[in-house]
Amino acid sequence: MKTPRFWLLLALVAVLAVGAAACGGDDDEDDGAAAPETTGGGDTGGEAVDCTASIGIMGPFTGDVAAIGQEQLNWAKFAVDTFNEERGTSFELVEGDTQLDPAQASVVAPQFVDNDAIVAVVGPAGSQEVDAVGGIYSDASMAFISGSATATNLTEDYETFYRVVPTDADQGPTVATYMVEELGAQNVFIIDDQSSYSTGLADSATAALEDGGATVSRESVSQDQTDFSSLVSAVADDTDVIFLPWQVAANAQLFGNQLAEQGKDVPIFGSDGLFSPDDFKVAGSYVSSFAPDITGLDDPAIQDMVAAFEDEYGDFGTFGPPTFAATTVVMEAATAVCEGGEEPTREAVLEQMDQTDLPDSILGQPISFTENGDINDATFFIFQVQDDGSYQLVE
Amino acid sequence: MDVDFFVQQLVNGLTLGSVYALIALGYSMVYGILKLLNFAHGEVYMFGAFIGYFVLSALGGASSPSIPVAPLLVIMFLAAMLGAGLLGVVIERYAYRPLRNAPRIAPLISAIGVSFFLQASALLLFTAQFRTYDTPQLIPIDTTGRIDAGPLHISLTRILVIVSTIGLMIALTLLVSRTRLGKAMRAVSYDREAAAMMGIDPDKVIVATFFIGSALAGAAGVMFGLVFERVFHLMGFTAGLKGFTAAVIGGIGNIPGAMLGGLIIGLAESFSTGYISSTFQNLIVFGILIVILLVRPTGLLGSPVLKKV
Amino acid sequence: MSRIGSDDWVEQQELRSEYYTGFTGPARKAFDRVGPGPRFFAFLAICAIFPFFPTVADSDFLIRVGVNVLLFALLALGLNIVVGWAGLLDLGYVAFYGFGAYMYAWLSSSQFDVHLPTELVIPIVITASAGLGLLLGLPSWRLVGDYLAITTLFFAQIFVELMLNLDRLTPPWRDEPLDVTGGPNGIPGIDDMRIFTIDFEQTRDYYFLLLAIFAVVVVGLYYINESRTGRGWRASREDPLAAELMTTPVNRLKLLAFAMGAAVAGLTGSVFAAVQTGVFPQNFEVALLIMIYAALILGGAGSISGAVLGAIIIAAVPEILRTPENARYLFYGVLIASLLIVVRPWKRVAGIVAAAIVFGFAAHEIVALIWPDVVVGVEDGGLGGLLDSWVLVVDDHETLVNFAFVFLVAAVLILTQLRGESRMLLLIPTIYLAAFVWENRLVAEPSVTRQLLFGAILVAMMTKRPQGLLGTPRVENPI
Repeated sequence: MKTPRFWLLLALVAVLAVGAAACGGDDDEDDGAAAPETTGGGDTGGEAVDCTASIGIMGPFTGDVAAIGQEQLNWAKFAVDTFNEERGTSFELVEGDTQLDPAQASVVAPQFVDNDAIVAVVGPAGSQEVDAVGGIYSDASMAFISGSATATNLTEDYETFYRVVPTDADQGPTVATYMVEELGAQNVFIIDDQSSYSTGLADSATAALEDGGATVSRESVSQDQTDFSSLVSAVADDTDVIFLPWQVAANAQLFGNQLAEQGKDVPIFGSDGLFSPDDFKVAGSYVSSFAPDITGLDDPAIQDMVAAFEDEYGDFGTFGPPTFAATTVVMEAATAVCEGGEEPTREAVLEQMDQTDLPDSILGQPISFTENGDINDATFFIFQVQDDGSYQLVE
Repeated sequence: MDVDFFVQQLVNGLTLGSVYALIALGYSMVYGILKLLNFAHGEVYMFGAFIGYFVLSALGGASSPSIPVAPLLVIMFLAAMLGAGLLGVVIERYAYRPLRNAPRIAPLISAIGVSFFLQASALLLFTAQFRTYDTPQLIPIDTTGRIDAGPLHISLTRILVIVSTIGLMIALTLLVSRTRLGKAMRAVSYDREAAAMMGIDPDKVIVATFFIGSALAGAAGVMFGLVFERVFHLMGFTAGLKGFTAAVIGGIGNIPGAMLGGLIIGLAESFSTGYISSTFQNLIVFGILIVILLVRPTGLLGSPVLKKV
Repeated sequence: MSRIGSDDWVEQQELRSEYYTGFTGPARKAFDRVGPGPRFFAFLAICAIFPFFPTVADSDFLIRVGVNVLLFALLALGLNIVVGWAGLLDLGYVAFYGFGAYMYAWLSSSQFDVHLPTELVIPIVITASAGLGLLLGLPSWRLVGDYLAITTLFFAQIFVELMLNLDRLTPPWRDEPLDVTGGPNGIPGIDDMRIFTIDFEQTRDYYFLLLAIFAVVVVGLYYINESRTGRGWRASREDPLAAELMTTPVNRLKLLAFAMGAAVAGLTGSVFAAVQTGVFPQNFEVALLIMIYAALILGGAGSISGAVLGAIIIAAVPEILRTPENARYLFYGVLIASLLIVVRPWKRVAGIVAAAIVFGFAAHEIVALIWPDVVVGVEDGGLGGLLDSWVLVVDDHETLVNFAFVFLVAAVLILTQLRGESRMLLLIPTIYLAAFVWENRLVAEPSVTRQLLFGAILVAMMTKRPQGLLGTPRVENPI
């Protein structure tokens, strides 16, 4: 009686092993290359500094948007490894998984506050999480800097909050102006994905578009929606542009495919959430981004870094590099404190972060903060997807 | 415009409904035999989709397949069905068989546990990255790959999905009604002890049922990947929920009911998006389903449960 | 299914006599001997340590975990009424929780600029939630079992959808959209609670508030269960038809169960809203519902102490897993504990553990000799230091670890089939393999590990002990 079961199990193991092998295969080309030997974007190339501190990172490492969270985590790890190797510091990451759930975030935050080794936090990823933990961190004088929370009010509401990405209030008018002026859009169809990022941006864009004289129709889908073909069929024939302020680029690719499938020739305009040359490749669409495409930047240092990252971790989209920048800001601040001969405490790091002035960064622009904590000189760039899938800067 | 719009939405709904129907079939078959709601079914479907993806990658990927498209698709389907079937059998053996005589809620919770475990395993093994089948490279969606009749556009992929679903359902119906195994399955679902007394081994029949149901889910996974392209570790949850709903709507335990339920849900989603609003699509579909259940508590094709006193 | 012609009782005789032997035998004997009454008071006595928790655990994080545990416990207790006592499969329970939270937000925040005093809000929330429970309980009159489950599940989904989308509907009497629920952004900035001049601002204050509510609910539920209502619930759970014939008002009891469960959930929800100072739709999704169910089932449905125990485990374990050192202790502790439970003579357990240790050292040495650059040490101190030369930690070999994981699962499954010698032999490399997979992958990804362990625990619990830890075994009426 044991034999058939045994073969059954063996067969199952074989099948799963095929799967494991196939997926393991395309993940690690293991040369063990962890960090490049170049100087990355933004460092001042000093000698080895003795600086030890822990940096907390909060993000959705599992759950619905685990892909985004894992990407942020990988870029943060990459940042710490690179920085430690170049500057001789000993920074460590402490992970806190929030699954983009504010309830979990409000448990991770006190945990980080209790951990005396943590001097600053990167994250959280979602605007609602910032709302849930803002008070906790502000009370503890702990600086926290996000690479993806874009709700406009956050920097105002919480003292110790910084971010390296522009707000929804910046992106909306920019894309609206482009659509009305450059693309001559009169009828715009905006579909949001029911996340707070998406609805905030959609609202901001709607207001700006209507100011510019265009008519806007709105719909929304959910992020785990499997099929957009019914919605695509319902796209009116006189639509000039479809604006998709989504977080999941793969969904937009599917939407674009289904548009083409049904013969609808309407261009898609995506927000920075769609900026992912590996996932979103619908020719003729536009994508906005708060940084020039880092894979298209001329700076060879940045290109080396991108190559090193891809070697170790694989493809990435748009949410990773800002987290890299955010982590670098924190490490630079802590290092500055150490170089001044002091212990990196939370208050010291917080003070130092106010004075952040990096001439260069992986985002292709210098980083410094306004009084509230927003990044200075936030501009948006608009790209068009070419036939071969590459992104071309158009504005 | 109206008729064409209607037909377009009809096709959309049928495609979606076919996938749901295949998943619902698995739920219904297992429920009919074991009176158990197999919550892990959605995860089996997800693994099927992943197996299809890996076979596709192993054979060169969508943009440069090393063998022609038709045999490639067949191999993908077979591999996914086999793998998913085996997974289903293993789940039954270890998570459900020890609970044959336990209170009804025990195998339910066990199923939830298996579902969680499989989801986490998928996250561990495959990482959170979205994989895509990249079907347009394989079966082009420009004019060569679709049928255009006026303003109607139906891609070959969708036709493939609908046709193969119909084929699988016909095969299943023939299996259940004409073969000895089918007879045994029906017998065990009516009365397990009596069937045992008639010389049918219920364990073997249950294993066969699980295998077939899970294989259908695996096929559904590959179909989903082909039409909707995105494969990720959480896809089983939503699809499982919808498939489960479809099975209940049609009358759980009832095979034609599962097919009907799947189609109803697919069409409801499609039409409510097209004619009412995409924002409230889920709300409308749930509302319709609640009304159906309240009007016919045992599902559309289900028979009222007779309780022996 | 028992074989035809054999007797279940006779077959299980051996199992029964074996049950009370071994390392955990005396504990089991003592436990099963105590009746439900004294067991409950023992439970109350243990609960008496709860109020001292904040003084012992000084950190805000631990108090926050304590708050979470209490919230979970209350939710499990409420669910216990519906599922454990009345036997109704309610998969929409989390909607009541959310409703209570949102109701508190509507009445005590800047959303509508309504700031009612908390003494007024709490009774309103309880009543409104009970009303919603009554409404949702109505389908239970027509639908049974799995059909009721799915209808209630729909309600939960509808609730989340409504909360997500009710910020942009334009009612006919207005020009602009009316923002009722804040949509995906939720309602932040909720007032703190203030009951009879006591201000609740810190987490610690809410801990004590929840403790007070918990005490009242537990005692109240205990007495309700002992009363006619409780007996009525039990009767309608076991056999509704017979109960109806015996003049038990089954339908009304069902509604009562729903309403009470909803009231408890609503109250808990309002405190949760105050603690988090905001409510967001994703707080109330199906994942939370599954956790509450798991807590209840794990602890034992139908038992108050079971519900609380399950809640403690489910709410506390993920937090332990967050730090790698603690997670390590937990992992190896659970490994040893499960060995003790599964393998009877505990001298054998010692033998197996010793053999595994030797095996591990040997494997480590051999691998270090052949492929020296593959092996990397264990980083953290404490337990990690001890394990350094035992466990193989490899660098950069994801495929290998994936394979190892698959083999581990297969090995554990095969182990459940074996008996005697072969089982002992297979246990040794399995233990080492488990440690290998743990150190290389799982310890670094606590959230995935949490889910894995969680699912595995559910399956293991159900197959070994379906009544949960503290429940009483039930035999279902065969259909």
